[in-house]
Amino acid sequence: MILNASIYLFAALAMLATLLMIFQRSPVKAAMLMLAALLATAGLYLALSAQLLAALQVILYAGAIMILFIVAISVTPQAWRDRPSPGRLRRLLGLAVATIILTELLKVSTALRQLTVSPEFSETGTLALARELFGRFAFQFELLSLVLLASIVGAVALTAKRKTL
Amino acid sequence: MTQYTLAAISFILFTLALAGFLTCGSLVRMLMFLELMLNAANIALVALGPQPASNAYAVMLFTVAAAEAGVGLALIITLASAFKTLEAGNIKELKG
Repeated sequence: MILNASIYLFAALAMLATLLMIFQRSPVKAAMLMLAALLATAGLYLALSAQLLAALQVILYAGAIMILFIVAISVTPQAWRDRPSPGRLRRLLGLAVATIILTELLKVSTALRQLTVSPEFSETGTLALARELFGRFAFQFELLSLVLLASIVGAVALTAKRKTL
Repeated sequence: MTQYTLAAISFILFTLALAGFLTCGSLVRMLMFLELMLNAANIALVALGPQPASNAYAVMLFTVAAAEAGVGLALIITLASAFKTLEAGNIKELKG
């Protein structure tokens, strides 16, 4: 019962933060609202008994990625000066496309109505997750370190000052 | 609670982020909404997938999201220094 209530609560918080983010003019305030949405998602993971994912969400998304965004906003003063252009047609088109996609997604997943879930708190999820990550998915897990290495090299190569053009 | 409710939560979050992505013009903001879309997909994976495996996929998606944010922001900083703007509509040249 309390898990159901907390799932609804955290989902509503995340939706509210995302909605406010769309209408927020200042980029730093938008980043703070995104932080709120990500922390609400961490709560949602906790209510779904994925404790390790909740911790990783706080450390990785709300910690590392948010700091990257704040640094990017502060080193690009253009982001402060840019005023969102009115572009009403573009706004209307964007909202229309989003509404269509939402209705389609909800329509194709109506079969899920028959499947009931009763969220129960379990503490053993982390051990099973570790067995999966270092057992069945060990190769994929190691491949991800290559993805991270490639992204680090790419980011440094992009932002480093070029000696010759 | 049915699985439809959990799916609907994820879909609504995804669509809100998509609406933001389509309506805003600033590149940093677009990348933020992109992260939120990935986050919504992650919620669906954790809520509806088979338990230990779906959590493992979610951990892998976290890594991919981190890599994507790093490269994306490096690109945005390079674009900002080259074009002096971050509005996607103002960047019209393709010359390097």
